[in-house]
Amino acid sequence: MNSTALLFMGPAALLVILFFFVPVVITLGLSLTDAATATGLSNWKWIGLDNYDQIARGSFTMLIIRNTIFYVLVTLAFNVVVGLGIALLSTHVEAKAGGFFRALWLLPRISPSAVYAIMWVWAAAAPPFGIMNDVLSPVGVAPRDWLNTDPWVIVILVNGFVGASLGMLVFTSAINSIPEDLFRAARVDGASAWQIVRRITLPLIRWPVLFVLVYQTMSLMASYEYILLTTNGGPGLYTTEVWSLWAFHTALSNYYGNLEFGLGAAMAAGLVVIGLVVSFTMLRLFRFDELVSDPRVEIT
Amino acid sequence: MVKLVAWTIGPDAPSFYRKDNLVSAVATLNQELEKENPKTTIELDATFESGGAWGDYLQKFQLAAEAKQGPDIVLAGHENFAPWVGPGYVIALDDLLKKHEAKFKDVIPTLWDAMKLRGKTYAVPQDTEARPMYYRKDLLAKMGWSKDRIDGLPEAVKKGDFAMSDLLATAKEAVDKGVVEAGKGWYPRPTKGHDHYMFYYQNGGEMQDKASGKLVVVPAALEKHYGVYATAVQTKVTSPTHIGSDFKIWHETVTAGKVLFYNAGTWTWKEWSTTYKVPENDLWDKVGFTLIPAAQKGAKPTTLSHPLAYMVTSNGKTPELALRLIAHATTPELNSRHSVESAHLAILKTQQDDPTYKKDKFLLATGYMSDFTTFIPNHPKYGAYDEVLFRFLSGVATGQLTPKAATDQAVAELKNQLRDELITK
Repeated sequence: MNSTALLFMGPAALLVILFFFVPVVITLGLSLTDAATATGLSNWKWIGLDNYDQIARGSFTMLIIRNTIFYVLVTLAFNVVVGLGIALLSTHVEAKAGGFFRALWLLPRISPSAVYAIMWVWAAAAPPFGIMNDVLSPVGVAPRDWLNTDPWVIVILVNGFVGASLGMLVFTSAINSIPEDLFRAARVDGASAWQIVRRITLPLIRWPVLFVLVYQTMSLMASYEYILLTTNGGPGLYTTEVWSLWAFHTALSNYYGNLEFGLGAAMAAGLVVIGLVVSFTMLRLFRFDELVSDPRVEIT
Repeated sequence: MVKLVAWTIGPDAPSFYRKDNLVSAVATLNQELEKENPKTTIELDATFESGGAWGDYLQKFQLAAEAKQGPDIVLAGHENFAPWVGPGYVIALDDLLKKHEAKFKDVIPTLWDAMKLRGKTYAVPQDTEARPMYYRKDLLAKMGWSKDRIDGLPEAVKKGDFAMSDLLATAKEAVDKGVVEAGKGWYPRPTKGHDHYMFYYQNGGEMQDKASGKLVVVPAALEKHYGVYATAVQTKVTSPTHIGSDFKIWHETVTAGKVLFYNAGTWTWKEWSTTYKVPENDLWDKVGFTLIPAAQKGAKPTTLSHPLAYMVTSNGKTPELALRLIAHATTPELNSRHSVESAHLAILKTQQDDPTYKKDKFLLATGYMSDFTTFIPNHPKYGAYDEVLFRFLSGVATGQLTPKAATDQAVAELKNQLRDELITK
């Protein structure tokens, strides 16, 4: 590698090392200690793999893994399917109407997270409160304390409405970049709307779909803020507790102030490893190397 | 001139005297100091911190203490100093307390037990309370109870004649007769907190070994404790969605007179009149309060206290002055005005004779509960212990687990997390 290349890569490489690589190393190091509020930053000691051992033996571990898989898969499906649906619909109507429709779907994303989550908490409040009860009871849905009776519905919708907007934006721009000639030709050949979507649109937006899938999977695995602000991992026995929220609760939020930084770091380190495995698996599954390989036909 | 900095949580109306009593104590301490050395005076920067959010408050202090930028005096729950002793955020006060023994001899002796860790004293009680079982007199009357029986309920509970099983049976009867809606027979605390452990203690539970200071779990008592909630849910006395519900809605529902029995603190009595605008006369007419009934007839009823306490931090250069300021804030006059304003019980023996305290009907009526009280333990790992017990309690209260399964798993998890720091009895 020549010095010019190093010079150009330097700033970016420095940022990656400082803000991505170093935190991972610190997290891994911290995970091998008993650092906690009770030790402060001066009295901690190395304890080897004890924290990992505790997690492996924990009664909650399998439950929280199952919750995390369920949360990521269902929310991801919602994000991609709804995002794709909005993109397809809004690109097939008059441009201004489509733009307005997409702008509406951006509202959850541009609202401050805490405000957005609190609005959901109020909307889902127990009877006689809650807009959801007011709206749904006339159509036969019994009023209920949604956050306690159907916590996953709320968790997935709260995250899904935010996540769908990202897919919507990416898919819309991808659809709009497909040459119009292909659609016209298909229509001339008598293709139905579904056939056009199935045979032209979807294959040509495979790369954006891959990007959204991988990005959203990673994002969902690490995200917990909306769960924290709505169900806080409950109700009951860790019903909606996911791995990243568990790490947060352990390391940074204990009712009695006994924060366990080392144990929480071990949980976070586990998440980093799982994230890497899932990323590589998805990139292989979607043949990422083929997507970024040089074109076989060179146009001059 | 010596500048002291004090942090108290808040503004936490109506408990604002936690800060203001320290401010008032400055004048009397300065008078005392003037006689010793006219050049020494103190100035106090006392602030409310974190708007009443405990998690934020504790974290703010920990970060400040670690950065050596914390206050000289910090107010917190008595159990909070346990994890702060290891890193040295707060100091042991035994030598200073001995030096100023006369100033603290009025403190009710049992409260000092809650201020200790491994034999050393790290805090001075600021206030205390009891956590009664409240009941609606008007709803019991609707069920056919006579006035004498209703008014005699606290005494019946105190004597052990009315047990927890009687309470649950009465609540079930109220639900069955339609006096209250299903799920509104008994409202325990809807969120995490110390109150739940009254039902563990009630069933013979222990939390800490006095000799070793280690945490204790008594599986038989834990199963019975979980059993109380399971029975309440199975009989529709309490809703399976109750634990985890909104505390504000909880208050609005109980103050609307829709719940027969409910647990809260003595201070909540004042909150109902100030925050929820229920006239105090109305409370006296319609709401009664007792100890937590005994598990079985003839056994001892219980309650739980959670004293807040002033601690002297290692950050301050003048810990003795900080403790002397606390001493001047720990007087019958100042503590009584806090007690009356916020419905907290006396921490000083002579408060019982204080004219302000003596005038308060509610404090006089609940004062006897201190004789039946229990405390949560002071232990650095108590947060982890509580997390495990509460999560499994939630599992039982939502019907996900039986009391037996929850107990077995909770004990296994406690052993996994606490190892040598846990004694199973």
